[in-house]
Formats: sequence, structure tokens, C-alpha cells
Amino acid sequence: MAKLLTILKREYAQIVKKKSFIIMTLLTPAMMAAFMVVPALFATRDVAGGEAVAILDRDTLGIGEALAEELTEYTTETTGQPAFRIAPVITLPPADSAGYRRIRDSLVQAIRNERVKYLIEIFPEAPLSDTNLLLVTNSDNFKSAARFEHRLTRVLSRIRLEQANVNLPVDSILALTRRVELHSQDTKGESIPTEIKLYAGFIFVLLIYMMIVIHGTALMRSVIEEKSNRIVEVLVSSVTPFQLMAGKIVGMGASSLTQVAIWIAVGLGIMAYSGSLGVDLNSPAARVAFDPLIVLAFTLFFVVGYLFYSVYFAFIGSIVNSDKESQNFLWPVVLCLMIPVIFATAVIQDPNATWIRVLSFLPPFAPTMMVLRVVFIAPTVTGLSLMSNIALEALVSLIILILTTVAAIWLTARVFRVGILMYGKRPTLPEIARWVRHA
Amino acid sequence: MHLRLENVTKRFDGRVAVDRLSLEVPPGVIFGVIGPNGAGKTTTIRMILNIIAPDEGQVYFNDRPVDGSFRDRVGYLPEERGLYKKMTLREVIVYMAELKGYPRRRAEAELGAWLERMELASYLDRKVEELSKGMAQKLQFVTTILHKPEFVILDELFSGLDPLNVELIKNILLELKRSGTTILFSTHVMEQAEKLCDHICMISHGKKVLDGTISDIKSRFGHNSVRINFAGDASFIRSLPGVRAMTEFTNYVELDLDGTVTPPSLLREIAGRVEISRFEVMEPSLYDIFIDLARVDPSEVRPAGGRSDG
Repeated sequence: MAKLLTILKREYAQIVKKKSFIIMTLLTPAMMAAFMVVPALFATRDVAGGEAVAILDRDTLGIGEALAEELTEYTTETTGQPAFRIAPVITLPPADSAGYRRIRDSLVQAIRNERVKYLIEIFPEAPLSDTNLLLVTNSDNFKSAARFEHRLTRVLSRIRLEQANVNLPVDSILALTRRVELHSQDTKGESIPTEIKLYAGFIFVLLIYMMIVIHGTALMRSVIEEKSNRIVEVLVSSVTPFQLMAGKIVGMGASSLTQVAIWIAVGLGIMAYSGSLGVDLNSPAARVAFDPLIVLAFTLFFVVGYLFYSVYFAFIGSIVNSDKESQNFLWPVVLCLMIPVIFATAVIQDPNATWIRVLSFLPPFAPTMMVLRVVFIAPTVTGLSLMSNIALEALVSLIILILTTVAAIWLTARVFRVGILMYGKRPTLPEIARWVRHA
Repeated sequence: MHLRLENVTKRFDGRVAVDRLSLEVPPGVIFGVIGPNGAGKTTTIRMILNIIAPDEGQVYFNDRPVDGSFRDRVGYLPEERGLYKKMTLREVIVYMAELKGYPRRRAEAELGAWLERMELASYLDRKVEELSKGMAQKLQFVTTILHKPEFVILDELFSGLDPLNVELIKNILLELKRSGTTILFSTHVMEQAEKLCDHICMISHGKKVLDGTISDIKSRFGHNSVRINFAGDASFIRSLPGVRAMTEFTNYVELDLDGTVTPPSLLREIAGRVEISRFEVMEPSLYDIFIDLARVDPSEVRPAGGRSDG
């Protein structure tokens, strides 16, 4: 036990002294701070005079002018400035196709040069069809596109109604048939924007991923170093291979726990001094970042997930002979951990879909997939999130992960003791199976 | 500590690395295990250290089967050297001592004197990677013995050391021996073993070829070769009883005796018949003995060479 502690202390000190450790430790609170600030940046981006919209109208009914008028009604949420800047409305006779081509080309060029953001084209006889319209842009913004659609519909409806000679005043018909605006909120009565959840999910998953890969490869390197320097010969004459492996894994785990502890301390500090720091704890971002279930799930899955993968890294370190050789074994880790990110949009649409649920219980995927699910679901839970269904699921997944890790340590220790003394040829799978059986 | 190996066998993938090896290392001696590369020395050492388990047979320390409890009382310098490059000398020495269960404070208190003696004192807080190969070797030697082991295993200790350092370390070994430490010294350089060891065990192809004290071995294998410088016709010598072979050179002959005749009686036999200017009983080096023995099937020489308790 004393020797395990000696190894643990050395491994811990080796990591904590490294620059990468210090950088990661500082970078993360910075990322979290960015997470609080960035949504505000999104909001302020609208301000600068509004997005430039050019309208090219080839109809003769004044649709372009009417649309421009309608669009001026929009203002940004934060500053009340106009959301759109009309950069010009150009009306052309339908027959002037040479002029159309020339002007359109110059407007397209303006979009390329980012002087204009949107070009709305109104083709001849627009009211006769629903598709005689075109939006040209290089940056799709669903919100703006929906606004254009809405207002164009209104302008065209007015023209159609006037042409149809109905008995009622056109204005009152328009007022009676005006479009509704549907706001959404979750069962808790709050509305945390999808972007916030996605962004929070990405940050948590990315942190787990980076920590596991960075510390895991460091662990693998340190095994390879001892193996290639032959220090391992002396080590195994002083301690058991299990003590060596456990000391390394736990030492590295302790260093990553230190990191999380620092982050949580920073988080608590922000919570305690939120008033003087000007942080709004009720903002959607803060509600996600400080949700107790999310914080707990992140910490536990991070630590246990790290242990789970470190066993794999220790195993690889013991059977390969060089850093270069070990790189071939990195991709399964990257793949398993990044799957939740790859399918993040599917996960946010239905975090309880069967296949997503299944993945969140399988140990290789659990550390990131379960955390992503928790981030998406926990903020919507009414009452204490720690007592909810998702908390129970996370607990079960965590227990599976812990049991698998224990089994993996037991198996790997047997390979490790043989592997670290093997130089040269890399063992084949049947050979490794034999080591496990005969150890 | 008293080490005993009984019929120890180790196979790797069907290849026999160590074959029914038995030997006994009495306390307080410098015991040489010699043999060419690939003879099974390192595998034997690893079994002694309980790093790997023998397939058959048993290793005993003080008549108890070897287990982890002996770890702290043994010091091991492996053939392939290496230390943590990024640690300072102080850190490495203390760390290695702690892994042997030696108190940190005592290690810190004692390391200065050792580094002084090894002429490494000025590097105390420098990193291992700054050392030259020979310096690193001396440092590793310090980490091997600092925790005052009762039994020290040194695998190819002198490889890569210059003569001055060889002398330095040899003196330390003799001191250790005087203080009662048992030293197991493995090498493929026979001359070193010959100069340093009290007791020798030769291994070839995983089998013991011979073991015994140096004087024992020499007396057993030493007196079968004679060189005579003379004037006159010596062709009669070839047919004398006890002479197995004679090689003639311009001024002398070399006789290979079969053991039925002693050199003094041979001298008397030929003294009156030719004019002898020199008569020399040649003591073969361990190297000669080894070459001689290893060339034949070890199982054949086994009964002749050393104890055959297996």
C-alpha cells in the first residue's frame, strides 16, 4: 500500500507539473465563461444597423416596396434597433432581361463581398404562383428566412385579395387571418434555447473527451517510457505489476480530479459572488451550467470514464514498443467518445430514443452519451433533478461502467505483467488470451 | 541471504530458456553466473526476483520459497539500463529507495555520500537526461544498493564503464561483500568473473555446465596442459603414457594430458632425455574452460562438472 502511494504520488506530481495540465485547468473555466457570454454576443450581433437585404422586383405591383416597408417593423430583441437594412429595392420591367442579368450579377457579387446579406428576388407575375420567389444568401438563418416568408405571404395575400374583389375590406381580412407566433417552453415552464443546450452538451462532452484522451495518452506514454527505458525491470523487482498499474492509473485519476475540483470551486465562487460579478444565475446558460444533476453526472462520468479508458491505455502501453506504434490504437477511443457529438442533433431531438438510450448504457459510449442526455434532459425536469428518471438512468449506467472497469482492471493486470517485460514483437490476440488464462 | 534454485525450468513458446537449473549461492560471496548471450541468465535472474514464475522447480531464499516478501531485501541492476530522464538525480534515488520500502528521510540523508563517491555530487539537482552514459550507469548502481539490500543482483554490471569506474565499483562490491552482502554477478565476460568472483556457475543453452569455486574449477580443469621448451629430439614424448595429444612448435611443444599422469612425474620422465629450458603447467582461463565445455553437449559434461543434484 505504501508503495502504491509512492507510485501514485510520483505520477500525480509528474502530471500536475506539466504545462498542458495547467493550460487545461485554466482553459476550461475560460470556456465556461465564454459559454455564458457567447449567447449575449449572438444577440448583439444583430445591432450594427441590421442585416442588409436587397430586393430585386421584376413584377409591376410594387411587391418589393411593400415588403421593404413590412421588414422595417422588425427590431432586435436587445436594443430595439431595426433588424434589417434595406439595401436597395430595385424594380425592373419584366421584359428587361438584359438589365436583370446585369443587376442580378452585381447583387450576387455584393453578397459574395458580404456587403449585402440577402437578395430577395421577385419574379414576374409573382402573385400567380407560390414559387415565383427566391432568396439568395450564403448564410442560412432560419429566423430571418421565416420572417421573409411571413411578410411576403402578407404582401402577396393583400394583392390577391384586392384582385379577387371580395366584399370585405382587405385590411380586416388580413387582420383576421394574420399569422400566429408560437413560442415554446419546456414542462418546467422555461424556455432554454436549443442552441444553449447543444452548446453546453458539446462543452461537457468535449471536456470529457479531451481529458480522457490527453491523460490517457500521457498514461500510455509513461508505460511506454518505462518499458523502452527498461526502468520497468527494476520496478517489477520492487513492486507488483498490479501496484504499478494501479498506482499510475489512480495517480493520473487524482490529477484529473484535482482539475475538476478546481473547476467546481471556480463555479461555486461564481455562484457565491454572482451579484458582484454581474452573472445572471437565471439565464438559460447558467441554469444549464449550474444544474446539480449535470454537474454531478459530469464529474462522476468524467472520473469513472477516465478510469475505464485508462485501463485500455495502460493495456496498449504494455503491449506496444513505441509511441508511434501506440497511435494506431487511439482511434477506437476517439470514435466511441465522439459518437454522441456526431449524432448530437439526433440526440437533442429525442434524447430518449431507444438506440440513444442503449448507447448511453454501454460502457465505451456512456461517459459522453449519458452526459449529453443529462445535459439535454435535466434542465427540463420539474422538482429536484437528482430524483428524476434521468438521474436514475445515469446512476444505473454509472454502476455498469464501474463494474466493467473493475473487470477490465482485473483482466488487464494479467496482460500488463507479461506485456511490460516483452520487447520487440507485439503480441497477437491469441497470445494475449493465453496470458490472461495462465496468469 | 542464502539462495537456492532447485530444478528450475522455464519455457517460452515451447523453447526451453532455462533447463532444470539447480544452484546454491551461499551467503556473503560474490557469485558469478557466466555464459554467452542468450544462455538464460536474465531469465534465471527474473525467476530469482519473482518477476516471472518457473514452469517447474522452485527458488528458495533462506530455505523459504521465494515470494514478494523478499523484494525489499534485494537490489537489482538489470542489463538494460534506464531511469526516468526527466527526474533529477535526487528524485530518482529517493523514489527508487522508497519503492524498496526504504524510509525517504534516510534515503535523502545518505544519497549525498554516495553521489560524492561516484563523483556525481554536482549533478544532484540536475536531470538524469543530462548525464553521460557512464554517469547514468553509476547512478543506477547507487539506486541498486542504497537501500542496503542483503542480496544484490548485477546483470552485466561493467558493460560500458571505463577502467577507472570499473575499479571504483569493484572496490564498492568488495566492501559490500565484507559487510556480508551476497552478490550475484552475471556476465558474459569471463575475465571479469575470474577476477571478482568466489564462486562461478556456467550456463549454456539454459543448462548448467559447471559450477564451483574458482580454485576448485581451476584445479579440476587446470592441470591437463603443459608447455615445454627444450633442445633435442622430443618425438618420444608423444607416445608416453598419459599424453593425449602433442602440438609441436619450433621451440616448444604443448602437451594435452589425460589425467593419468601428473606434471611432476611427467617432468621426471623426460628430464633426462632432452634438455629442458622451460617447463610450464598452463592454467587455462575460465574462458578456455568454458569454450571447452560448451562445445560439447552440456548434458555429457554435467556429471563431471560440479554438483549434479538434479
